[in-house]
Amino acid sequence: MNPAIEAKQVTKEIGGKKIVNQLSFTINKGEVFGLLGPNGAGKTTTIETLLGIKRPDQGSTKILGLDPLKRRREVFERVGVQLQSSSYQNNIRVGELCREISSLYKEPRDYQELLNLFKLERFEAQPVEKLSGGEKQKLSIVLALIPDPEIIFLDELTTGLDTEARRNVWQTLLKLKETQLTIFLTTHYMEEAEILCDRLFLIKRGNMVAEGTVSELLTESCQNNLEDAYLWYVGEDEDE
Amino acid sequence: MNKVLSLAKIEGKLALRSIDGVLFGIGMPLGVLLLTTMIAGNKQAGNASYTFLDSSFSSLLAVGICATAFMGIPLTICDYRDKKILKHFFVTPASPGHLIATQVVVAMVTAIISAGLVALVSVVFLGYRMRGSWGLLIASYFLVMIAMYSLGLLIASVCKNMKIANLVCSLVYFPMLFLSGAVIPFEIFPEGMQKVASILPLTQGVQLLKSVSLNQPVGNPQFVLILLGVITVVGFGLAAKLFRWE
Repeated sequence: MNPAIEAKQVTKEIGGKKIVNQLSFTINKGEVFGLLGPNGAGKTTTIETLLGIKRPDQGSTKILGLDPLKRRREVFERVGVQLQSSSYQNNIRVGELCREISSLYKEPRDYQELLNLFKLERFEAQPVEKLSGGEKQKLSIVLALIPDPEIIFLDELTTGLDTEARRNVWQTLLKLKETQLTIFLTTHYMEEAEILCDRLFLIKRGNMVAEGTVSELLTESCQNNLEDAYLWYVGEDEDE
Repeated sequence: MNKVLSLAKIEGKLALRSIDGVLFGIGMPLGVLLLTTMIAGNKQAGNASYTFLDSSFSSLLAVGICATAFMGIPLTICDYRDKKILKHFFVTPASPGHLIATQVVVAMVTAIISAGLVALVSVVFLGYRMRGSWGLLIASYFLVMIAMYSLGLLIASVCKNMKIANLVCSLVYFPMLFLSGAVIPFEIFPEGMQKVASILPLTQGVQLLKSVSLNQPVGNPQFVLILLGVITVVGFGLAAKLFRWE
């Protein structure tokens, strides 16, 4: 069986600077994989290179066994993506946006059903810009689920949300996890990583610094909680 | 094609909501038509053997094309690129052709409504009678349209961000609009200015429409046909080659 996502020695330079350096990982089907790292560590570039939005300078990536650069349309029939700080067309309404995205797929899910699932049905006729931060993020999950994907990518889905909205989104993601969906997410919140992720991958300045389950990382770093462990791995060195 | 149309339906609604396309593409040519007719409708256009209404009719048909080609299409595509909407389309099965075709369909509908209204008002209310053939006029109209759209798409592909796009579109749109003879009758320009304005592709397009509608050669129709054909092929080719998602 093919793994869901595979990255081999992926390196991406932007403007002569290595933003992502020799990252390799394999994510199995049904796994929730968390990519963690401080701001500017290269999380978004990793996702974008993984998806083929950016071409890797070295190494290769495979999604569902396919090269996203060569077989983009096939890959994205089966993969849903939420990109960081998405914005939408001016004046577009929630229902129109859902119809627009649905029209791109061969067999989309019924978006009404998804809106109901995320309690967004009453906003259908509203302009997207009028939604609150939490509602917008939920809408971006709805859009990522329209293809009825086998994998979804979520880039800092909960950044900028208040505590309640964040927990709300976590509940939704936990429900999705039960459906055996493969989830690739990046986050700044250790609590989020702890609640949702089966496996974590920590990067700092484009390099891998640790990989494993939450308990493995705690044991290896001899810390009591994930936040301390995270800082132990990625914190700035004193002498720098 | 179905997929393009279902996307175009929504994108068309968005275009309607943002008003400026409707105003510049549809409202303006009608306004200018009425104004020209009121001021000078039956007067001879310069030294020509036709009236200002004769001249304006065919040239105003091009205003909707100009507005959608040099404002609507490039600004929408650049705006979507700036807002990362195109990047979001990259992570769906949509092809660039699909997205471009959608914007072109929306632009075509706007331009056709514009030209249709100009023709309707001219014939029904202003008593305009065309000397040339309607079939040829429609064919030339579509040729001018696709040539200009290929240039608009090229602008969309080349401009890095919205600021540049706004600048380039203004630099292209306004001269094309005012110097090509689309809005201001070409015949009243001094000769030197006519020569300069002839460089603009839309000037040639307007001349072609005029030649057909007046049933007499204005400028050099054969040359214009070849020119527009070349522009179309090169424009679309480069636009597709240089297209960027982000």
